[in-house]
Amino acid sequence: MPEVAFESMEGSEQLQSGKVSEQLSIAMPEWLSQQWETLKHDQAALYTTIAVLFVTLLTLFIVTRVTFKRKKSKTVLLVGLNGAGKTALFYQLRDGTTHQGAVTSMEPNADTFILHSETSKKGKVKPVHVVDVPGHPKLRPQLEELLPKSCCLVFVVDALDFMPHVRAAAEYLYELLTNKEVVKRRIPILLTCNKMDKITAHSSNFIKGQLEKELNKLRKSRTSVSAADVSSEISLGVQGEVFNFTQCSNKITIAEVSALTGKVEQVEQFIREYV
Amino acid sequence: MLEQFLIFTRGGLVLWSCLEVGKALKGSPVDALIKTCLLEERAGDSSFQYDAAGAGYTLKWRFHNELGLVFVAVYQRMLHLLYVDELLEKVMREFSILFVPTRTVYHDFDDTYRQLLKAAEANSHFKRVGQHRHIDNPRKGSESQARNAQTGRKSDKSAGKSSGSNDDGADEDGEADGSKFGPVGYSNGTGNGHANGNKANGLGSTKSGRSSASGSSSDEDSVAHKTSSENAFDVSKLAKLRNNKSKKATSGMEGPKGTSKDDAVSKKPQKKNRVWGDAPPPSKLDFTDPVSVDQGDDGVDIAVVEKGLSLMDKDDDDESFRVEDMMVEVEKENGGKKAASKKGWLTSLVQSVAGKPALEYADLEPALKIFKERLMTKNVAADIAEKLCDSVAASLVGKKQGSFTRITTTVQAAMEESLVRILTPKRSVDILRDVHQAKEVGRPYTIVFVGVNGVGKSTNLAKVAYWLQQHDIKVMMAACDTFRSGAVEQLRTHARRLQIPIFERGYEKDPAVVARDAIYEAKRTKQDVVLVDTAGRMQDNEPLMRALSKLINMNDPDLVLFVGEALVGNDGVHQLTQFNQKLADLSSTSSQTQSIDGILLTKFDTIDDKVGAALSMVYTSGAPVMFVGCGQNYTDLKKLNIKSVMKSLLT
Ligand SMILES: Nc1nc2c(ncn2[C@@H]2O[C@H](COP(=O)(O)OP(=O)(O)OP(=O)(O)O)[C@@H](O)[C@H]2O)c(=O)[nH]1
Ligand SMILES: [Mg+2]
Repeated sequence: MPEVAFESMEGSEQLQSGKVSEQLSIAMPEWLSQQWETLKHDQAALYTTIAVLFVTLLTLFIVTRVTFKRKKSKTVLLVGLNGAGKTALFYQLRDGTTHQGAVTSMEPNADTFILHSETSKKGKVKPVHVVDVPGHPKLRPQLEELLPKSCCLVFVVDALDFMPHVRAAAEYLYELLTNKEVVKRRIPILLTCNKMDKITAHSSNFIKGQLEKELNKLRKSRTSVSAADVSSEISLGVQGEVFNFTQCSNKITIAEVSALTGKVEQVEQFIREYV
Repeated sequence: MLEQFLIFTRGGLVLWSCLEVGKALKGSPVDALIKTCLLEERAGDSSFQYDAAGAGYTLKWRFHNELGLVFVAVYQRMLHLLYVDELLEKVMREFSILFVPTRTVYHDFDDTYRQLLKAAEANSHFKRVGQHRHIDNPRKGSESQARNAQTGRKSDKSAGKSSGSNDDGADEDGEADGSKFGPVGYSNGTGNGHANGNKANGLGSTKSGRSSASGSSSDEDSVAHKTSSENAFDVSKLAKLRNNKSKKATSGMEGPKGTSKDDAVSKKPQKKNRVWGDAPPPSKLDFTDPVSVDQGDDGVDIAVVEKGLSLMDKDDDDESFRVEDMMVEVEKENGGKKAASKKGWLTSLVQSVAGKPALEYADLEPALKIFKERLMTKNVAADIAEKLCDSVAASLVGKKQGSFTRITTTVQAAMEESLVRILTPKRSVDILRDVHQAKEVGRPYTIVFVGVNGVGKSTNLAKVAYWLQQHDIKVMMAACDTFRSGAVEQLRTHARRLQIPIFERGYEKDPAVVARDAIYEAKRTKQDVVLVDTAGRMQDNEPLMRALSKLINMNDPDLVLFVGEALVGNDGVHQLTQFNQKLADLSSTSSQTQSIDGILLTKFDTIDDKVGAALSMVYTSGAPVMFVGCGQNYTDLKKLNIKSVMKSLLT
């Protein structure tokens, strides 16, 4: 018999505990408002609280801004046509060797590293974030997402097998030079003539000239009726003048390198200039 | 013998390669594989053929998606090597144990590879000798099928047989493994892996430890059950969505142009009055009928079209599609069902926090099925939808998923990516640029329009003419449809409206000669572009195809545009392939085989969101969609908006 009574008591206790928690939840706002009241009475405390809050928020804001910005534009992009030697250049910059060669890239290569030539340097060397963007036309849409984060572009050109691809190269370059992001932020571009280890490779002057010529033609065809063309966003160069690279608002420099043999100092210098 | 075995990252860096000593591959088969197969969403195929001067290679490959590695084997096609699939799997398994992301040199893999190769060769030899002894019983057949489905790879029959476990062979298998690769150490028991239908073998290393005979079979059962129930569910779902969509479309479209799909179908046979440009009196629209043309000649209703901007030059920002909502809905139902039936909530909670195990084909299958069906409701040819899903599966199996990502989301992302890749042209298409180039050299740029009957060749030719005109390019039309009566008059009417010179020689003339004369005339009168209209023809009409081939060979046009209707399904794909094939076959000059360079899709406005034909055609031919005809006005010519096509395919 007492057992039963005990059981029932326990039951009621459970009920009560349920009620207690309910009461607690109701009491919460009351407790808060009490705090509020005391704060109100003590005006000085109120102001300090607000001030502290404000300062914290401000510093937080600034810190995130700074870190975000730093992250935003510290990427070096290696771009160019399929087979130009971007992947080779990427590994040459990172490891000082092209390993066992490369095949057509299906995905970007991205890494943050200290340039291989600087690994022996004393003192603090900042690592760079380099992305090798696949050159195949079908993979080119990926570039759109990477451009906003870039601080400079290394446009790799195959100087050996240049003439068959001059138009395609110029079209790619045209897209870059009229890209909103590139123009707006004046992203510097290094025209990198690769594969200079081969004697039959074209000189950088020749390549520059050919590209300018092709870009000039492209400019004509793409903006032929600019008045009606809604799609012509940004025009290239100075209207009515033969195009050359000095007309671009962003700085365009030219270099001769060989990713295979490791003669890539000009690219390293360029990267160091902007990172 | 294998010519080459190559292991590289998806980024393109070669990690390890074995080239048979003293042999150099002719051409670059691996680059070709990547460009023409893997990047064309054909990764789900079982092999790739590569022809170089004096050599024919077969390539087979495997993806290790979690590690981002690609394994490729190259061998002479004449040697029907049976052990390649098995070798690939084994090498993949062994190499993934060794692989460290930061490491780039793997010379220590040489020995392991030699052993694996030797074992595989011996194994295949044994199997060839002993093959007559093992007659597959039905159960085994189905088992091996299930396994094939799981790997998402249709290995050809012989390969499937040779790698499928057979009771007699199992001992030898196990023995060979045990003795030869003992030191390397598998993560799973080798005997186990071989005894139960090679499930682990099929899937690579990632899953190996967990598979046991009973577990795997019940797994499969539940998967099959699940997919069928989901399937039934999905159909109704899709129907509902379709209704919604079409309702929305009808109400949303402006003006008289707005025809829902059903309307369009019913309207199609009786050609209705169209209004070209701003010409006020409703004339007979399709100037096919010579009578109407006579009226036209009297100057009754030929008004010069007013200049408006061709839609080619307008950026169209499509309304945002509701892909996300849709996906969430579908996912909710799937997800709910799956979680309830397969895993307890606790497991799924733990998994969602701790990260999920690598994806298996079985995980992907339901989602893939949904996508496949969705693609098919959008008019994508069935086999293409299938291939696409295989390719997506091949790129996802073995991948680790993020903690809070749903499978459908993962598949959707991969699907979007691959659709965009398919639709993005592999080389740039810039007709204006080419026209200017030709102009510099002092020759007219020639575009030939080909296609079957009644797809709107002449009409869209006129639209292209109008667009070119807008860009200050001097255009001339050439009426080379000397076959169908009324065709020349139809074109003449367009020419008059657009005030474009037209070159015609009436009927009964060889179209190839007419085209040649037209180009000559254009050169003389300093025209920039010649648009050649040809007779519509069925792809299996041999004489007419021969005539077309002659026209193309004789005049060597800069661009051969295939004009096709957007509303056709499989048919259009077949037409396009046949055209391409016939033109290539019949071309007399073997030096350069010219075939279809681009596609013009007509009646794009009548298909609502059933844009599948665009995908099918591009996928099979590799030619890009250069223009899209989307209405009854001269201005209604657009570029293909890849993003929006992709979105409507997946909505
Ligand atoms: N001779 C010579 N060959 C080079 C040089 N750089 C790259 N190559 C070769 O050029 C070929 C293509 O190089 P990749 O680095 O794969 O080209 P990529 O630009 O990355 O090409 P995608 O990834 O397809 O965009 C490889 O066979 C390289 O070995 C160089 O400086 N000299
Ligand atoms: Mg590369």
